[in-house]
Amino acid sequence: MEQPRSDEDQQLVARTQAGEAAAFDQLVVKYTPRLYGLVYNMTSNHEDTNDLLQDVFSKAYKSINGFRGKSSFYTWIHSIAVNMTLNFLKKRGRRFHLSLDDMDASVQNDKEFLELTATSSPVREADLAELQGRLNEAMMKLSDEHRAVVTMFHIQGMPHAEISKILRVSEGTVRSRLFYANRQLQNYLDEFRKNPVS
Amino acid sequence: MNQFNEDEIGKLLRLKRHEQPPPGYFDNFLHEFHRRQRDELLRQPLWRIGLQRAQDFMFRLNVPAFASYPAAITAVVVCAAVISLKVYQTPETVNVAAQNRAPVITTTTLPDSAWSLSKPVTTRDLGPSLVRTVKDSSHTHRVAAPPRYVLDSTLVSYEPAFRF
Repeated sequence: MEQPRSDEDQQLVARTQAGEAAAFDQLVVKYTPRLYGLVYNMTSNHEDTNDLLQDVFSKAYKSINGFRGKSSFYTWIHSIAVNMTLNFLKKRGRRFHLSLDDMDASVQNDKEFLELTATSSPVREADLAELQGRLNEAMMKLSDEHRAVVTMFHIQGMPHAEISKILRVSEGTVRSRLFYANRQLQNYLDEFRKNPVS
Repeated sequence: MNQFNEDEIGKLLRLKRHEQPPPGYFDNFLHEFHRRQRDELLRQPLWRIGLQRAQDFMFRLNVPAFASYPAAITAVVVCAAVISLKVYQTPETVNVAAQNRAPVITTTTLPDSAWSLSKPVTTRDLGPSLVRTVKDSSHTHRVAAPPRYVLDSTLVSYEPAFRF
């Protein structure tokens, strides 16, 4: 996933800081889909994601005057989103239910999906809904911090360096969390391979 | 049967990008954001709105940049005040000790016949031999120190404590 141009963001931030609320609206429109994906894949719940995302933008708007441009707006807003989501997940604990969005029809034409169905028998045999359920189950078995890294790296396609800036941890920590999470996912999805249709 | 390798896991997880909210969700998001902001503003007390506007004003003026000098001056003034307070509060031991060398009790004596109910009561002079002077060795603690009320550590009663 391509990172947006930071000079364009910088201008919008400056205009917002000067009191032009419409400039912040442009930032909201620009970042909503990206941040939706991040928060949704960490919570696996559409309603929680919607509420959290509203809070994230509200907090960003309130504290935009404190943004001095030491990092890019992209990193800054992602940090707010990840931290707020991690805090929310801590409070939510294990009492939650999955509220998943539907996979859009374009998945059937996705190159990687076609590759997987061609090479992997469990993926070929499972229907799309079951595959989605299994993936989300496996994701929810990870710890919140590991899920955050997996979401940013595998789903959002962010590089290690960017993730380390957002989480304010070293790149080594990001890599080790990713390694551990991948091992866990391999184990969880192995059951799916052995028993594709439950 | 092999496990999914890392590459396959990556590919599987990337399929989650296709999980999308209902159509029109992103179009309505901004309206919802504005509505929530208005609601929040209406729920806030007046003083908080005023405070926020003042904060915004300060940020626009870039007050933090100017604030470093007054902050440094304030810190220096506070330090000076603390040091001066400490200096003035130190006990004047020398002066107090000198005063204590003077006789403590100076009373005048009257002959027994001089005692009368009609006269006002006067103090008795014990004479120079009975004048008690305070010796230096009797100072067991700092002269100017405030009185200390230390409870004796020995038991008041020597009766054995009952144990059940």
